[in-house]
Amino acid sequence: MHGGLHSPGTVAVSAAAPLALVGLTVAIGASGSPSLQGTVAIALCNLIIVLGLQVFIGNSGVYSFGQLGFAMAGGYLAALLTVPASFSAFQTPGLPALLSEAQLDPLAATLIAVAGSVLLALLVGLPLMRTSTLAIPISTFAFLIVAYNVLANWDAVTGGSGGLVAIPTSTSVTSAGLWAGMAVLAALAFKWSASGYRLQATREDEAAARSLGVRLMGERMVGFVLSAALCGLGGALAAQQSGVLTPNAFYFAATVTTLTMLVVGGVRSVLGATVGALAITVVVETLRGFEEGHRVFGLPSLGETPGLAAIGLGVILLAVMIGRPSGLTGGREAGELLRRRRESCSSSARGHGVRLTSIPREGAHLDRGTKRQELVADGVSLAFGGLQVLRDVSLVLRPGERLGLIGPNGAGKTTLVNVISGFQRADAGSVYLGGGNVSGHSPARLARAGLVRSFQAALPFEQLSCLESVAVGAMGTGAGRRRAVGEARAVLTRLGLLELSAERAGSLPAGSQRLLGIARALATRPRYLLLDEPAAGLNDQEGAELVEALRDVVADFDCGLLLIEHDINLVTELCTRVQVLDQGRTVALGSPEAVQRDPAVIESYLGSGYPAVAGA
Amino acid sequence: MGLMNFAQGEFIMVPAYVLYLLAGVPFGLAAAAALAVGIGLALGAERIAFRPVRDADLSAQLVTSLALATILQSVVMAAIDTRSQSVATPSGLSESSTILGLAVPNLELVSLALGAATLGALSWILFRSRVGLEMRAAAENFEMARLLGVRANRVLSVAFAISGALAALAGILLVTQTGQVSPTMGLTPVVIGFVAVTIGGFGRIGGAVLGGVLLGALSSLLGAYLPDGLQPFRDAIVFSLPVLILIFRPEGLLVRPGGAARI
Repeated sequence: MHGGLHSPGTVAVSAAAPLALVGLTVAIGASGSPSLQGTVAIALCNLIIVLGLQVFIGNSGVYSFGQLGFAMAGGYLAALLTVPASFSAFQTPGLPALLSEAQLDPLAATLIAVAGSVLLALLVGLPLMRTSTLAIPISTFAFLIVAYNVLANWDAVTGGSGGLVAIPTSTSVTSAGLWAGMAVLAALAFKWSASGYRLQATREDEAAARSLGVRLMGERMVGFVLSAALCGLGGALAAQQSGVLTPNAFYFAATVTTLTMLVVGGVRSVLGATVGALAITVVVETLRGFEEGHRVFGLPSLGETPGLAAIGLGVILLAVMIGRPSGLTGGREAGELLRRRRESCSSSARGHGVRLTSIPREGAHLDRGTKRQELVADGVSLAFGGLQVLRDVSLVLRPGERLGLIGPNGAGKTTLVNVISGFQRADAGSVYLGGGNVSGHSPARLARAGLVRSFQAALPFEQLSCLESVAVGAMGTGAGRRRAVGEARAVLTRLGLLELSAERAGSLPAGSQRLLGIARALATRPRYLLLDEPAAGLNDQEGAELVEALRDVVADFDCGLLLIEHDINLVTELCTRVQVLDQGRTVALGSPEAVQRDPAVIESYLGSGYPAVAGA
Repeated sequence: MGLMNFAQGEFIMVPAYVLYLLAGVPFGLAAAAALAVGIGLALGAERIAFRPVRDADLSAQLVTSLALATILQSVVMAAIDTRSQSVATPSGLSESSTILGLAVPNLELVSLALGAATLGALSWILFRSRVGLEMRAAAENFEMARLLGVRANRVLSVAFAISGALAALAGILLVTQTGQVSPTMGLTPVVIGFVAVTIGGFGRIGGAVLGGVLLGALSSLLGAYLPDGLQPFRDAIVFSLPVLILIFRPEGLLVRPGGAARI
């Protein structure tokens, strides 16, 4: 995998480790007693469901409590498609003839069950993924309850709360193991796809991801549907393993169990899902032995104590959440764990801040073939409650131009950038890009149109490497993985950050994080770049180096730059025109020298002395 | 406090079991004991489970509370029984009083009075008392409130004590209405509460009340007008329709104006 985001060795180890665990489990199960075979086959089905949870929860960082609803759907579909017609006649009399007479081959039934789960996920996800990050756990939980309620009460079609019997048992340890292996590969492939990286970027920082062109709902939807496919597969295989199916099989208790497996192993990694699922199965089976009053491992019996396994699960889950919230694997894949030694030496990276080299940019294609037109904000006004933050502000940024936007604290600079970049809606006024009215467009849509902004805070994608972070910039605006990696390397090289490629963004010093934020934005190939106080929080030397970098880079990348700053010296050095805001109004506009002589500016801004510290 | 708690349902269930275990003790005394256990349980949960994950994100806190809920539920199942148990309630509550010529069940009167008294007391604590002010400040910006001298641990303890007391009251009322306790009795009320808060808008008492009233009204209307054949699906409909509200108001019905986060 030349030019990938990980070395071939890392990729191979990361895939091999969970596959080896699955292989080991199959080997143990296949040679065991029939009851052990059953336990192992069910464990593998659970593993597939946990991998399904990992795909959505791990990559999006949003907990869904409803994914087991898709296991219900997959299980019931597979069951209804395979139960012999003679049984269907009495346990599901209301079933359409097409389904009740169907007695499909197990593989065909499984595939249809997966397809059905995907359809249901599309139907359910379209509204649910629109709800806010805070509401998704609740709305998905509501979906689980609705699914259970329907299955448990639609007696004529689903067999009601008594469920279904006489499902042909076709799932063996080997077949479950094969499916689980494929699920491992699918989860890893998604995690390392462009789509997977965009989703992970929303997990790390929603606003930063959207500013790079990532469509929040769309990416969540992709993860949600793939997750549902795996959960549906696990449900279908489990139903065909046990031969009976009740609505309770995938309800509240199963949700707690599978979530515990995922959290214990480590939500962010496929290895974690695998380790967690298998380890918790061993624990639960042991506790269940006690629960039924058996002697386990030579320990004395406690007599029958229903609920013991659940208490054990709850205690483990609680202990992990408190003591090691990132799980046994720390959310890393096997290959990344092997590389840990290098990462622990990252103190060497802390030493060097912003450092620039003048390596020419590779693969430059400056002529975008697009019409070079202006970015215009026209008569923008905005009030927060009684506070008028912007009063009829207009702004023109020409292609390739460097415009400074200065003003004292509270002048409305950041608010203006928020309006232009789509993060806030103005009460009045419009924004035009390339001649078209783009007022009210989402940040992601504007980024795809070539208008990208940075933030006052660095907002790093903490858990992603520098290379991955910058690649997300290119992926966000539609590049595939391969091209994004090339683009990211070029930008990192240009900004002198290439040697930090493999470092986690969260481990960098502030100066490098700031520069990384600009690198991310540049990787989108913006036509217009809006930088909100890029030097805030940097020391004088770092700030000076940043100015140098910006001067070169903006010329190279051929984009218009809007630079918001407190520090008028920085703006004077870098910009050809300066616009001064005060109390939401434009008070001056012209060359840096002219603006500095302007009496209105001197009174409102310079007269009070240059503000020493840039506010956050 | 920016925390959603799955175990809130178990804060309802455990005090209800206190009533069951104290059968034979005078009801008032048993109820007082249940209230005390509810407050103690909430305080203990805050200290042991929630304080360590206070700085984690909302999802992590939700999962932590899920773990706590599972433990409490399973302990009751293991110690008592998985099936529901019946509880004798004072006979006075099942009789009716005549008010202005209308026969009103005493239980309804008590529920109504308790509901009004609780809402009044809660509003007083939150909006008139010092600790209420501290609590609202901490809910807005925990770190800033601490910097200004709000004693974080005390505020959180008081918040949990209040929620424990409210849950215990709900548990006592549920038992007197149904005469039964079961290990899973807390699930439905807590889910209704979650959905109510979500559609009403987080962080607003008014939102929670509005959401709760909407859900209650919807459930009653469906109970009255839904054809018999569809009655079993009432819960499914009750939980589906509110989600539709979120499609059009992703932040809930009541959100503060200009509430966009500063970036």
